[in-house]
Amino acid sequence: MDSSYLAQPPPGMGKTRRLASTVQWLLSAALLLYPMNEVNGQKKGTPRDLKCMTSNLQVWDCSWKAPATGQGMSYEVCIDRRSHSCYKSERTSIKIQSLSPGDHEMTIRPLRGSSNSTSKFILSERNVSLIPFTPEISNLSADFATSTLHIQWNDRGSAFLYQAEVIWEIKVLRKESMEVVKLTTYNSSLSGKDVDHHWGWTSDMPLECAVHYVAIRCFIDDPRFSGRKAWSDWSRLKSVSWSPDSPNKVFPQDKVVLVGTDITFCCVTQVKILTAQIGQTSYPLIPLDGRNVAIKIHSISASANSGTNVVFSTYDNIFGTVIFAGYPPDSPQDLLCETYDLKEIICTWSPGRPTALVGPRSTTYTLFESFSGRHVRVKRGDVSSNESYQLFFQMLPNQETYNFTLNAHNPLGRSESAVLVNVTEKVHPHTPASVKVKDINSTAVLLSWHLPGNFAKIKLICQTEIKHNSEQELRNLTVKGVENSNYLMIVNKLNPYTAYTLRVRCSAQTFWKWSAWSSEKRHVTIEAVPSKGPDTWREWSSDGKKIIVYWKPLSVSDANGAILAYDVSYSSEEETRTLPEIPPPQHRAEIWPSHKDCVIDVAARNSAGSSPPSRIAGMQIPNDDLKIEQTVGGGNGILLTWNHDPNMTCDYVVKWCNSTRPEPCLMDWRKVPSNSTETVIRSDQFRPGVRYNFFLYGCKSQGYQLLRSIVGYIEELAPNVAPNFTVEDTSADSILVRWEDIPVEELRGFLKGYLFYFEKGERDTSKMRGLEPGRSDVKIKNITDVSQKTLRIADLQGKTSYHLVLRAYTGGGMGPEKSMFVVTKENSVGLIIAILIPVAVAVIVGVVTSILCYRKREWIKETFYPDIPNPENCKALQFQKSACEGSSALKTLEMNPCTPNTVEVLEAGPTVPKTEDTELASPVAERPESGPGDGDADKQVPVSYCPPLVEEAGPAGQVVYMDVQSGYQPQARPDGGQDGGQDGGPARCTGYKPQLQLPGSRGGAGGYRPQADAGTWTPLAPLAPLAPLSPDSSSDVGSFGSPCSVDSRQFLIPPRNEESPKWSGGGWSFSNFFQNKPND
Amino acid sequence: MDLRAGDSWGMLTCLCAVLWHLPAVPALNRTGDLGPGPSIQKTYDLTRYLEHQLRSLAGTYLNYLGPPFNEPDFNPPRLGAETLPRATVDLDVWRSLDDRLRLAQNYEAYSHLLCYVRGLDRQAATAELRRGLGHFCTSLQGLLGSIAGVMAALGYPLPQPLPGTEPTWAPGPAHSDFLQKMDDFWLLKELQTWLWRSAKDFNRLKKKMQPSAAAITLRLKAPGF
Repeated sequence: MDSSYLAQPPPGMGKTRRLASTVQWLLSAALLLYPMNEVNGQKKGTPRDLKCMTSNLQVWDCSWKAPATGQGMSYEVCIDRRSHSCYKSERTSIKIQSLSPGDHEMTIRPLRGSSNSTSKFILSERNVSLIPFTPEISNLSADFATSTLHIQWNDRGSAFLYQAEVIWEIKVLRKESMEVVKLTTYNSSLSGKDVDHHWGWTSDMPLECAVHYVAIRCFIDDPRFSGRKAWSDWSRLKSVSWSPDSPNKVFPQDKVVLVGTDITFCCVTQVKILTAQIGQTSYPLIPLDGRNVAIKIHSISASANSGTNVVFSTYDNIFGTVIFAGYPPDSPQDLLCETYDLKEIICTWSPGRPTALVGPRSTTYTLFESFSGRHVRVKRGDVSSNESYQLFFQMLPNQETYNFTLNAHNPLGRSESAVLVNVTEKVHPHTPASVKVKDINSTAVLLSWHLPGNFAKIKLICQTEIKHNSEQELRNLTVKGVENSNYLMIVNKLNPYTAYTLRVRCSAQTFWKWSAWSSEKRHVTIEAVPSKGPDTWREWSSDGKKIIVYWKPLSVSDANGAILAYDVSYSSEEETRTLPEIPPPQHRAEIWPSHKDCVIDVAARNSAGSSPPSRIAGMQIPNDDLKIEQTVGGGNGILLTWNHDPNMTCDYVVKWCNSTRPEPCLMDWRKVPSNSTETVIRSDQFRPGVRYNFFLYGCKSQGYQLLRSIVGYIEELAPNVAPNFTVEDTSADSILVRWEDIPVEELRGFLKGYLFYFEKGERDTSKMRGLEPGRSDVKIKNITDVSQKTLRIADLQGKTSYHLVLRAYTGGGMGPEKSMFVVTKENSVGLIIAILIPVAVAVIVGVVTSILCYRKREWIKETFYPDIPNPENCKALQFQKSACEGSSALKTLEMNPCTPNTVEVLEAGPTVPKTEDTELASPVAERPESGPGDGDADKQVPVSYCPPLVEEAGPAGQVVYMDVQSGYQPQARPDGGQDGGQDGGPARCTGYKPQLQLPGSRGGAGGYRPQADAGTWTPLAPLAPLAPLSPDSSSDVGSFGSPCSVDSRQFLIPPRNEESPKWSGGGWSFSNFFQNKPND
Repeated sequence: MDLRAGDSWGMLTCLCAVLWHLPAVPALNRTGDLGPGPSIQKTYDLTRYLEHQLRSLAGTYLNYLGPPFNEPDFNPPRLGAETLPRATVDLDVWRSLDDRLRLAQNYEAYSHLLCYVRGLDRQAATAELRRGLGHFCTSLQGLLGSIAGVMAALGYPLPQPLPGTEPTWAPGPAHSDFLQKMDDFWLLKELQTWLWRSAKDFNRLKKKMQPSAAAITLRLKAPGF
């Protein structure tokens, strides 16, 4: 016996109990050993170390140690206080019946030895150990699918006569190295019979992964036994292992687990596993027996539809399994049971949280009805997991209340929801179908429809929607449910010949839900007789022989159908005549009555019959004191008022027409009850600015009398045209103007007057356009007498142009103006005087002069026309002479020794081509400082202006040009010598040259300088080449060098400022700009 | 044919000439029985269409199977898929087959494959995938009919299925989900190979059955483009 197990208390006991048991055992051991030591101490070689134990409390098994005395040794064992107290034993042990409580002396004496070798022991129950039989596992089985071990053993209770508690300890060992993976206890009771016990254990690792061993032992806890109690020995190990020839190598296979659980996978293989991965994640390998490996996953996440793949890879192969991680089904949400037809109950719900399990692992729903005990089930895969589910349950006859329980289950669990339904309160009828309408009469129809279902037990409320144009009416009808599903409803109070749109829906009287609306049904009710005759009026023709009868079409509500014809008849005292029927759309008829006091009847007829006739008297009662009044409406209508006249027995009639239309004019009329004294006439046909005539008739018994005649506008506008006016007469101080009326259509309102403006002014210079009354020079005459057609304007000035303007105005505003220019006549007397006086003076002067000339004719001849002229009188020669003498008084003659008496400009035109030439040579002209450019200037000679008269003109024909800028002294250039060189050479001929070369005109003092020759006018105007570029260059600068007359001091060649940009443009560029810049 | 830019006008002229003379080609003037040519062409076209269809379907289905099946370099050993008809064949052996044998092998293979594809259809959990598989099944059924039509037109008898060898999709209890996925993977792979092989077979057959058209092609080449 393993002492460690002896010392070990049953795991099921408490700590205190364990401690007490240990102390008790030590004390009893001391008591037992004491006598033995005492005896042994007396004699050596005698039996010693007596130990007693029991497994069933009935038989004690005592054994002792004896000296090795050879074979065939036997002992006599005697126990005092017992009748047959001695037993003989061939071995060193003996089984005796359990002894009564208390101490007993046990004597063991070897039969072949001396009596001195007898040993005596004090034996009591306290010295006996209770060690149960070693249990045996009768069956060990493994459920590999669930990784569960099932252990079965027998407690051998029949061997134990007493009731006692038994503690079983079971241990599970894994792998060949026998690692303890489970150590647990199992409590049971001994009942005196052999009882089989079962224990199951689910492994966290698939059982296929490694060999599993199981062992069991027990501990009997009998309170009546005072001796030592100990665990039995462990049973023999039993093992469970997986047969490796299975095609599957990875475990567990196709398992469904809860999301978040820890799970171990293993691969049972003979080849080396290199990697293991789940999805795309690799996991570390855990070695098991042989080449088997495992991986462990903590908190697995939900799988995809086809599960999570777990793959173990070898060098050339893969093994795998699929795991399905999901959730147990959620409680069905929103469970609702109702019926459409009281034949079948439909229950709908939503699945709640998705389980992440699909296909064969998806949730199965079972609808169970507890009263009838029936159930229906949703087939797998019928609906996807996201949609709501529905189940149909056939109703049972005579059962109205149903107690439904909806169970949901999948491999991970189950849940349920319940609902108690009284189906008669949960009726949601189908959509009514086959809606039909039949006519009953012109105001009622019969509506029928089909409502699937058997509603015989309940009443239905059916609602009809009646739509006519935009009007909508709902009518409810409570009907008893029928079995044949056909329902009828009378819809009355309809209008004849009216299109209605009907639709219907139903619900149970115990309202739960309306059905959907049925499809709409359009129906036109049948026609009825027109409810009244047409509104009628009559007009006498202008010759008084004919009556034109007018009537208005009946409104839809009055016509009650399609009007087929109108029947017109008229009657007098003698006769009654009927006109042929008049079909619409004609709404007038002409009759030639024989009497003025005829009565006209008009009746409308449709397919249902004729309306009551409208009667109107044809008699027109004259009214002598009739005035035409004027009125203006408020924009949208005209208010007419009149005094109450008791003579008017029937109604008043207001008729109106456009005043510009020919007679008889009639636009419309309106009948007003006889007790009214006012009415507002409104019509869509009214337009502002149009004149209407309104006539108010009163109705007496014998006919109508015109009471008032009114001309009016709905709204006045300003005249459309100006009055056409002419000047009738003009005098020296007055003008007579005459104008014409504006046509009524153009007047657009009641004429209030004319405004006449006039002022002095010519046709083109008149300022009358902005003619305003406030201006002082404009005279205004306001003519408010609209009948006035002429106007004389007096106090005018003679022979003066006047601007006349005339415009008309109405209540709507001022019309356009018309203007005219008139010149007043001249005062004739003054004119005659003004002519005669100068003529007379001229005649007198002429006569006196003639007389004087005649008398002094000799002196005149001598003085002005002598026969021999006196050279001394030659002014020109005197001038030349003094010039040649170098008179200092004449400054100009200092430079021009001889001045001709005449100045003749030979040519001014050639400057234009000269300018063009310069433009071609502009780079040279604009860059006077560029020395090499001179060569280019030389080449310009042939194209430049160089008049041939230079050589031909003699010194006497010299022309003197004086530069207007001669007083201007330009800043002398430092290289004045260069200037002189430029002047002297023949190349200077590139610019314009005067016809005569002035002797001594050198340097910068200058006479005429041609504009384009940069070389020549640089000294005078150093800025000239840039002048065209410079925006602030003045015209003076631009005129430098222009020839001008000495006397006039006018430029002979005008400056060409406007051409200056063109000048510059020809040769300008960015490079030129930079080159020219220093000159700025 | 190596075409150069300058040849295009010559080719166009020749093409016009050929079109002008087409009515005179006796082989194209047959108005009655057109022979197996059109049905072979249709079968070839259907095969190419199925190849295209399978390409998108396989992507969807492998994604449904999840990793590692949808990984591009996944190439598992052929476990448990032995019953699938293998499309791979030695080139010499393939060349040694006559038209009848080739067509018969195609017909038998697609008969088997169709049953397995129907099995996929039953297994797929998503409606979209079921629709795709259903469409593919219909097309595959059409291909089977087309092959039968071609065989009938050529006068070949349809292969008779041996009794008891009718393939059915019935995974046994030992057939785990993982092995089923492996089978599915191999089914798609074999389908792809078979369609490729069939396209080659029908193209070869098509050329063989249109000698006159080939002759026209040869004449077209003659001007020396």
